[in-house]
Amino acid sequence: MTETHPVTATVNGREETFEVEGLESLMDVLRDKLHLSGTKEGCREGECGACTVLLDGKPVNSCGYIARAAEGREIETIEGLNDALSMRIKTAIVEAGGIQCGYCTPGIVVMLSGLLRRHAAPDERLIRQALSGNICRCTGYAQIVDAVLGVVQGKAAAE
Amino acid sequence: MSHIGSSAIRSDAWSKVNGETVYAYDYKEAGMLYGVLLRSPYAAGKLLRCDLAKARAMPGVRAAIGAADMPPTLAGWSIRDTPLFARDRVRYVGEPIAAIAADSLAEARAAATAIELEIEPGTPLIDPEAAARPDAPLLHPDWKDYVPTAGSDFPRNGNIAAECSADPGGVDAIFDAAPLVVEDLFTTQRQYQAYMEPKSAVAIYRAGRYIIHSGHQFPFNLRDRAAQFLGVATTDVRVIGHAIGGGFGGKLDYSVEPHAAALSKAASGRPVKIANSRVEDLATANCRESTIVKMRSAVDGDGNILARDVEAYMDNGAYTGEMSYMASFPFHCGAINYRVGKFRAIGKLVYTNTPPTGAMRGVSGPAMYAALENHMDHIAAKLGADRREYRLRHLVGDGDTLPNGQVLANTKLLRRGFDEIEKIVPWRGAAKDRVPYKGRGLAAAIWLVNPLPGALSMKLEEDGTLSVITAATDNGTGALAAGVPQIIAETLGIRPEQVRISDPDTDVAAWDSGSQGGRTTQTIGLAAIEGANQLRAKILETAGQLLQVDAGTLTIDDGKIRIEGETKSRMALSEVAMAATFGGASIQGTGGAALPAVPFNPGCANGLLFPFFASPTYHVHYAEVEVSPVSGNIDVTRYVVAQDVGRVINSACVEGQIQGAVAQSIGMTLYESMRFADNGRLIENNLQFYRLPLAVDIPKVEYVTMELDNIEGPFGAKGSGEAPILLPPAVIASAVADAIGKPICKIPVTPEDVLEALDGDGF
Ligand code: FES
Ligand code: FES
Repeated sequence: MTETHPVTATVNGREETFEVEGLESLMDVLRDKLHLSGTKEGCREGECGACTVLLDGKPVNSCGYIARAAEGREIETIEGLNDALSMRIKTAIVEAGGIQCGYCTPGIVVMLSGLLRRHAAPDERLIRQALSGNICRCTGYAQIVDAVLGVVQGKAAAE
Repeated sequence: MSHIGSSAIRSDAWSKVNGETVYAYDYKEAGMLYGVLLRSPYAAGKLLRCDLAKARAMPGVRAAIGAADMPPTLAGWSIRDTPLFARDRVRYVGEPIAAIAADSLAEARAAATAIELEIEPGTPLIDPEAAARPDAPLLHPDWKDYVPTAGSDFPRNGNIAAECSADPGGVDAIFDAAPLVVEDLFTTQRQYQAYMEPKSAVAIYRAGRYIIHSGHQFPFNLRDRAAQFLGVATTDVRVIGHAIGGGFGGKLDYSVEPHAAALSKAASGRPVKIANSRVEDLATANCRESTIVKMRSAVDGDGNILARDVEAYMDNGAYTGEMSYMASFPFHCGAINYRVGKFRAIGKLVYTNTPPTGAMRGVSGPAMYAALENHMDHIAAKLGADRREYRLRHLVGDGDTLPNGQVLANTKLLRRGFDEIEKIVPWRGAAKDRVPYKGRGLAAAIWLVNPLPGALSMKLEEDGTLSVITAATDNGTGALAAGVPQIIAETLGIRPEQVRISDPDTDVAAWDSGSQGGRTTQTIGLAAIEGANQLRAKILETAGQLLQVDAGTLTIDDGKIRIEGETKSRMALSEVAMAATFGGASIQGTGGAALPAVPFNPGCANGLLFPFFASPTYHVHYAEVEVSPVSGNIDVTRYVVAQDVGRVINSACVEGQIQGAVAQSIGMTLYESMRFADNGRLIENNLQFYRLPLAVDIPKVEYVTMELDNIEGPFGAKGSGEAPILLPPAVIASAVADAIGKPICKIPVTPEDVLEALDGDGF
């Protein structure tokens, strides 16, 4: 049997302890041990962004992140993103028709939550740059970018 | 309020955005084993030995199987040329040789490395044109014995897996006498569908049958294929579909499902999951084929095209799948859009020692239109004519025919497409308007909707909502998540949210031909109208009895029964449903549809397996590019689409299809390079090298939808998901050529190609 190590981290606001094997990725732990399958596996190569989660508030590809390094950190997955800003992002993407197969969608929502927490009013260029680690094969990105611009403008109007 | 043309929110949007949707890749069963495939490391060779004894003894292993454990049957969509596991020779890198199921993935992988394999490597045939030569060694020495799946054989010969040809005679004489002959050679590479969810399956052998869970675009085709490979009756396989993380044609045929099924049987019925890694998926996907297209035109002094001659080679890979149908496309698209005189064409689908190709969105269209439209540019240039004006002068009109003899109607939409684009961005083709390293391209297409049949049933639930049982699939387009519910809601007088659509299950639902060729909204939409009308009649009849009025005076409005002329509703649908259900006659309806066959000339070509363009649609695209003379980089700065959609059912979904297909096709045109080394190994073998278009690469597409009454679709709708992928290679290659003043005859167009074309001689 492979040797395992206990890791304790906050996952979606709740402290969780899980056993990890050697270099096991955070993605595998989330999907297989914590049954949070909203974090998608698209490549395991760090190329597609489907597995994006927030680690201490910053977007990372969980497939390339070694689970042991998450000790003591705060992890947010799509299942935990129900704050007001994330809800605005989700609503905007739903209403703009920015979802087709939806496989990229959780990773994109996580990435955008990370972006909008740090930048209140990103312009289109910055939005597109931020999304360049998240491949969407279906939408051509236009309706997703429109949705984010809508959130930014709505936010600006509300402030 | 009409539900047609709205931007109704798709039924699966919230579960997807919340991460709740369970895709096939996420699907698990209790007691599940993990399966892996041992794949050939060589592109060609004799398989001398495959000994599984050591692997079987490895820890955690529950089953290990290879060709020796399977019936000696061959399978295939159009011709039965494919073994489940390589038997005595291997034909491509990645071909399955054996499979292992174990308690964990790590144990399965470890066991796969313990399989003792002896292969005597051979010399692979990689280039289709070389493989087509009569003296080339045969990939399939037994090709003559292969059985065509549909019964009747088609033209094929040795390494030529299928051939479609037409020769009206007299073409050479016209070329000999013509004042101008323009000749081109175009090449395109393969394109990987690159759906974000890699392929996977969970299979269970239980009670003498195989149950396959998969995220598949065409469950009934998978049922057929799995039954062929496993050597069982069709209905001994049951396919249950789950959410599909993108398909684009890549999930229409089998992949790992029959292997998982065979493993489950060998493991005494334990469920077995096989999930491709991305690298495996990319290496073995049934990509859009690469092509070599030679196109010549004989032109008279006025610029009329007197004759055209097309010779095309299409890479079949090692096994055929459905590719034999695609050999018809050089014929269909070699002389389309614009009038030509005599037309000779030959399309050769050629076996090579590479992974089998297949249908990707738009099938062979992007390659064929790239050739046709850039060839038109070259003719116009030789004549000193303006590219747009030359096209309009030779554009087909109503009463003209396609090469197959099919008579065209509604071609005013094609002309209108040019006008719509002109309104958005006036054409400036004159030499004086040229800006160095900026270019424009303009091109047209005529396309089809896949006409194959589909059927469904529906029932009114006791709460007045509706459940639809269908094996049709939503691969992401929204055809079932938005379009069909809107069509039913409109027909029945309820809201789209009150319509629920089942996941596909071949034991339960009637036959459907899969999400391909833009058919789902159109054909399943027609079937849904038929079913909804039946339901409506039964609902009104029951309500009439309950209200003791003539059913003919009743109508359904927002889920309630109303007497025509009155404003107040009399009864909720739930009351009707309860009364009917507990009266012993649940309210149910069924519907089925296929698009009408189009008259064509059966003598037009030999081997025309794909005979006609059903429900034709018309398209014009325009692109602007900026090219860096220093780096060779190409930026698509503007992209405009005019598209015949029949009628928009869901505006957000139609926009999504246009934006997404253009992006995918820009990928094919500029970024997605897929090449094989001489030893048959893939060069761009992961997503770092096989470069997909990113948010920073893709402009927002400007588009106009063109609507026209059409009786062949629900409320007039035609399939809209496929056609917008056809033209980006054509218009972008044309725009790059315009920008650098050199012809571009290759897709993808890379920065190296640009620099090479410019070499020592920029503007
Ligand atoms: S799965 Fe992590 S980047 Fe693709
Ligand atoms: S919606 Fe399918 S990959 Fe983005």
